[in-house]
Amino acid sequence: MAHHTEISHHAPEEEHPTTTGINNRKLLMWVFLSSDCLFFGSLIATYMVYRGQSLVGPYPVDIIDVPITTISTFVLLCSSFAMVRALAATNEDRQGAIIFWLLMTAFLGAIFIGFQVYEFNLFKTEGLRIDTNLFGTTFFTLTGFHGAHVTLGIVWLLGLAWVAKKGRVGPKTALDVELAGLYWHFVDIVWIVIFTLLYLIGGFDTGPAGDPSLVPHSITGFLGLI
Amino acid sequence: MATLTDVIDRPSGESGLWSWITTVDHKRIGVLYGVTAFIFLLLGGIEAGIIRLQLSVPDSTLVSADTFNQMFTMHGTTMIFLVIMPLSASFFNFVIPLAIGARDVAFPRLNAFSYWVFLFGGLLLNASFLTNQAPDAGWFSYANLTEKPFSANQGLDYWALGLQVLGVSSLAAAFNFIVTIVNMRAPGMSLMRMPLFVWMTLVTSILLVLAFPVITVGLIELTFDRNFGTNFFVPEGGGDPILWQHLFWVFGHPEVYILILPAMGIVSEVLPTFSRKPLFGYPVVVFSGVVIGIMGWAVWSHHMFTVGLGPVAVTVFMITTMLIAVPTGVKIFNWIGTLWGGQIDLKTAMLFALGFVALFIVGGLSGVSHAVAPSDNQQQDTYYIVAHIHYVLFGGALFGIFAGVYYWFPKLTGKLFHEGLGKLHFWLYFIGMNVTFFPMHYLGLNGMPRRIYTYASEFGWDGLNLLASLGYLVLFVGTLIFMVNILISLRKEPDAGHDPWDAPGLEWSIASPPPSYNFAKIPEVEGLDHYWIVKRRAAAEGRPVTEPEAYVDPSTIHMPDPSYWPLVTAIGVLVLAAGMLFDTGWDYIRFPIPFIGGIICFIGIIAWANEPPAKEHAGGDHHAEDGHGMAHHPATATAAVMERPAGAAGVTVRLLCSNCGNQLSSSFRFCPYCGGAVESPADPDHQEG
Amino acid sequence: MGLLPFRGADSQTLRAGDEKGKTTLMSKRFTITRKPLLLLGISAILLLVMACAPDAKQSTFGTSGPVAEQQLLLFNVLLWVMIVVFVLVEGVLLYAIIKFRRRPGQDELPPQTHGHTALEITWTIVPTILILGLGIWSAITLFNLDQPPAGADALEITAVGHQWWWEFEYPDADGNGKYISTANELKVPVDRAVRVNLRSDDVIHSFWIPKLAGKIDMVPTRENYMWFQADETGTFYGQCAEFCGTAHAQMKFLVQVLPQEDYLDWAERFGETPVLSAQAQAGQSVFNGTGGCLVCHTATGSDDPAVVDSRMQSFLTTETGIAPGPNLTDLATRERFGAGLVDMNRQNLRQWIRNPEDVKPGNHMSGRAAIYQTSDGRANLSETEITSLLEYLLSLK
Ligand code: HEA
Ligand code: HEA
Ligand code: HEC
Ligand code: CUA
Ligand SMILES: [Cu+2]
Repeated sequence: MAHHTEISHHAPEEEHPTTTGINNRKLLMWVFLSSDCLFFGSLIATYMVYRGQSLVGPYPVDIIDVPITTISTFVLLCSSFAMVRALAATNEDRQGAIIFWLLMTAFLGAIFIGFQVYEFNLFKTEGLRIDTNLFGTTFFTLTGFHGAHVTLGIVWLLGLAWVAKKGRVGPKTALDVELAGLYWHFVDIVWIVIFTLLYLIGGFDTGPAGDPSLVPHSITGFLGLI
Repeated sequence: MATLTDVIDRPSGESGLWSWITTVDHKRIGVLYGVTAFIFLLLGGIEAGIIRLQLSVPDSTLVSADTFNQMFTMHGTTMIFLVIMPLSASFFNFVIPLAIGARDVAFPRLNAFSYWVFLFGGLLLNASFLTNQAPDAGWFSYANLTEKPFSANQGLDYWALGLQVLGVSSLAAAFNFIVTIVNMRAPGMSLMRMPLFVWMTLVTSILLVLAFPVITVGLIELTFDRNFGTNFFVPEGGGDPILWQHLFWVFGHPEVYILILPAMGIVSEVLPTFSRKPLFGYPVVVFSGVVIGIMGWAVWSHHMFTVGLGPVAVTVFMITTMLIAVPTGVKIFNWIGTLWGGQIDLKTAMLFALGFVALFIVGGLSGVSHAVAPSDNQQQDTYYIVAHIHYVLFGGALFGIFAGVYYWFPKLTGKLFHEGLGKLHFWLYFIGMNVTFFPMHYLGLNGMPRRIYTYASEFGWDGLNLLASLGYLVLFVGTLIFMVNILISLRKEPDAGHDPWDAPGLEWSIASPPPSYNFAKIPEVEGLDHYWIVKRRAAAEGRPVTEPEAYVDPSTIHMPDPSYWPLVTAIGVLVLAAGMLFDTGWDYIRFPIPFIGGIICFIGIIAWANEPPAKEHAGGDHHAEDGHGMAHHPATATAAVMERPAGAAGVTVRLLCSNCGNQLSSSFRFCPYCGGAVESPADPDHQEG
Repeated sequence: MGLLPFRGADSQTLRAGDEKGKTTLMSKRFTITRKPLLLLGISAILLLVMACAPDAKQSTFGTSGPVAEQQLLLFNVLLWVMIVVFVLVEGVLLYAIIKFRRRPGQDELPPQTHGHTALEITWTIVPTILILGLGIWSAITLFNLDQPPAGADALEITAVGHQWWWEFEYPDADGNGKYISTANELKVPVDRAVRVNLRSDDVIHSFWIPKLAGKIDMVPTRENYMWFQADETGTFYGQCAEFCGTAHAQMKFLVQVLPQEDYLDWAERFGETPVLSAQAQAGQSVFNGTGGCLVCHTATGSDDPAVVDSRMQSFLTTETGIAPGPNLTDLATRERFGAGLVDMNRQNLRQWIRNPEDVKPGNHMSGRAAIYQTSDGRANLSETEITSLLEYLLSLK
């Protein structure tokens, strides 16, 4: 899927009034994100349907390392905070802070991606590839597309930072930052869902041959583990 | 505020190939969509011809089994994705901004991008013929027949990638139209004053936005299976082919409403106009359209009654499916209510609209009979289904679209169709359609399965198949008549006037063809059927409206300028997708070409983002970014204060609508609930134009 | 003729029933076609009558047995409901079009009605009730037809779909635990429920015997089942009803409904070593030797599941290797071969052996068997070898 979002910094000084009062580009972003919800929803549904269906190992329990990914999840959460700061700085027209927080957001996002690259490589050496089994297939597809979303967001943020460096980001163009923020927070929230389902709940799944009592198939199961 | 001296002429010419390639004008894009989709209709029709020719006699050896399989696959795919959807999009483009009183869509360049991506997607899909590997697994391409072991050539890669590209186009267009309809309505056009076609476009677009990602995921998974060794739908790897069916039909059933709702919208415009009566039960028709859109999500498994879902699941889907007949019936009854007591003028457009109603009922009723699962077990995958498909899609969607063509053609060109030829076209279609597809009901019940390239005489299907094939000839001639009619009509002098049908919509208040800026002065909408209100008041006051809104010098109104970047970005998308067809077989860079496409896309998007929607004007002028454009006509520029005074933006003052009492934010210029003007000292611009 | 347009009955009434039903259908299309169409309509009826006169072998009418009968009953009632709704709605529509035509000189606007709440409520509620009624009845039928009635001593069969033929396994064919695997012609006893487990080893197929029961898909990864019961002996026609590739159109089969004794007789004799003439013995050695038929076909009793499995593996993983082929043990007892496609006789069989592609384009035998990988696709066998092979095949009973 291509993402065609306008990242124009040429927004008019003032927006033309719209029927609802919501800016057009903002509405576009919301509509796009609702579409993206269904996109991830379908990928996640695929993962859930195939949970515990792999015919051969490695299975999640052999591979998934919850603590490490908790760290990267935390980093991604922090990036959302940085994003909020970036928008605040934009509204307050603190030029230095705008650039700092935009870059910080991108940087934290990049760390997350770094973790993901590391994780993918680790899994590969442990014998899990996209074509190994259903777990690999669904895991790499879902997290891979999420990673692609984050990467796109990083490019976008860097672009914004570049424009900001020219001094063209400020309260009047705050919408440009706000849109990037909406996207970024969305991608972040999606990750929370993925992390919960794939790591916290599904991370201990064994293969079909495993003892089914070990497989916590619900959140209650997970709570029971704690 | 801008002054006239700031205004610079629009740059590129209004004519010539280049102007079409770089156009961002919604009317021209509408024409591009329409013409392209019509050519695809001919192509899909020729494919249907090959199917009919092959099946006209038993044991025919005209084409091989494989060719036949390619034909029905490409026929179904073409008709649905390259004909009905883009023809609907053509109407969205041409009509919506006019009907809601806007100067263009919300994102004109995104709109151009949608068109180019659609064209490229269609070409990519059909390029498979050139390499002799057309897809051949049916329009819903059930896994695991689509997996490498059973479908070794690249046909299904073309199919998956082509649909993926088309999905990008549909999504971009749907985003655009949602924003346009929600945000770009002229003052006074509250939701419940929107013409029905606008409503149905909104519902369709929302369905698109939510349905397409699902098939996108399905296609991604299929592509991965075929190229990266994954096991999504491969039983040997533990995958489940039924997952494909769920993903496809979760998309596929809303999709059929995506196909029919625009046509229903068109018909809801045409019937009142030619009955000289407002739409009967407007709010109910709107509501039932929305309900259909919602219920359409709860029925997908009615395509899977024979899959073995178990009686409980089947019962649920059976009942929900049957219940869809209720809102649909409500629409039909209200249409009849519209006719009742009216003065019906059987112009060609009206004939097609009435044909729609008559034929759609047949298709709908057979649909309900499929919904009854135990009896569907006998009908599924027979010609009984093929009959249903064509009654709803040909008799329904396509008839509705032709009603729209005859209805809006005078607005588009300023010329009237030749009525006699139009009526001939209608009758040929109406007769041909029934002769072709009605016998298929009986064929199916008589046990003829669909998707068979040949059959033996012993089963007693010969006569009706021949009849169906003869019916095709009637449709063929009808199509030719239509083409002749267009050609003749286009050569005429303009003779339509601005309002040939005494129609209620805003679009009829301006000249035909509409000027590039649509409305010199954005109208203040007074109610549902605005133009009727205006005309009838004027008539009552003894000064009937005979003239369209006056032309103004187009150069005085800023419209978005043409742009290359949508096209460039679309080319990027094409290269990205088509590049997936070239597998180098090297270990690490198996697919290098998509990267090139990605880079082209990237360049296109960056340039697009950096290009102002309209040329920069001295003095930091405002652009018609949102398609609203601004009137700089002397007569209006002084009177109309287009922008909110600086400082007002962002400040939210709670107000009450003076008309209906709903709470509003100050950014509303009029009440979204009742359309009443908002009286507020902080927000003086509600008086605009 | 009764109330119902299509009667499930013996072939005599079937024919009449068909015609009756078709006229009803015709009147349906008549209402929508107006005067100009009269002529065309009449010729269409004529064609219909011509088309429906011969016995329709694969029709969903003229059913036999409880399953198909109830499905047909449901359809018939639906059809009547639809016809009534159709006539009413199209009638009102047509009436409105004719009655409210704009007459010349009508310049005054008609009354501008905007809606009518009571009407809206009525035409929402009435269809809802109608539909819920139909829905509930359909659901009951659905649950009723799900399993053979309790206590029925159903014959258990497993049908496996292959591109483009059918494998039939009887885990307990004769009531004494005899396992039989055969192909392309299903032999079942009359008046006894038959429960068919449906499987597929390659792509999705759909198992359909219109006159006996509606279709259920054969899906790899899924254990589907259906059941039927034939109330009369005779030949019934089956068809694959899910598009499954090149020869989907020709993936058919026959169901022979036999009297109880005949069925048992067949089951007991299945797999007995046939008496072979000298020529047939020569044929057998071609079959096992130069012909290479043995790698895909079994002709001496039921298949060994492990062998079938390895053939299937080869089919899935190679492009030219072997493939599972129909069991030929009781080939000569079949009325047709090529998966219900052509009559079993010497001439047709000869054509098949010479070049299966001529008979059934795209089939995996001509695509994969070594002897057909010739420039013109004809068997790499001499005429005498073919003749003796034929002799052998025809003595397999
Ligand atoms: C424009 C497209 C369109 C539309 C609008 C519809 C509308 C409906 N469809 Fe159809 N359908 C298709 C396109 C469409 N369909 C296609 C393309 C397929 C085949 C896919 C494939 O396999 O290739 C298909 C297949 C299909 C199936 C699967 C059949 C099978 O494969 O076994 C089913 C089953 O339930 C079904 C049901 C319905 C129903 C109940 C409606 C309802 O929405 C109809 C409602 C309308 C009415 C009922 C008529 C008007 C109402 C009244 C006059 C009121 C009174 C009526 C009553 C009380 C009954 N359709
Ligand atoms: C909107 C959708 C739509 C439309 C309009 C049509 C139109 C037609 N369709 Fe069909 N059809 C489908 C959607 C549609 N179809 C779908 C979804 C399927 C299922 C596919 C599948 O199973 O996967 C299907 C399947 C299908 C089948 C079943 C195939 C099978 O199962 O084996 C048949 C068989 O007769 C058929 C016939 C026709 C015919 C005769 C027309 C006619 O109405 C066509 C009329 C068009 C013309 C007559 C154009 C004439 C052309 C010219 C005049 C060209 C002149 C030339 C030049 C100027 C260059 N269609
Ligand atoms: C590569 C595997 C293969 C080989 C080798 C092969 N067959 Fe077949 N045979 C098949 C398949 C697969 C079919 C089913 C074709 C279809 O109906 O689509 C079949 C069908 C048949 C049928 C029809 C069976 C029926 O009931 O419909 C006959 C008879 C037959 N083969 C005879 C032979 C003979 C004789 C030979 C040797 C000369 C042979 N086959 C070699 C795979 C093979
Ligand atoms: Cu098997 Cu179609
Ligand atoms: Cu559907």
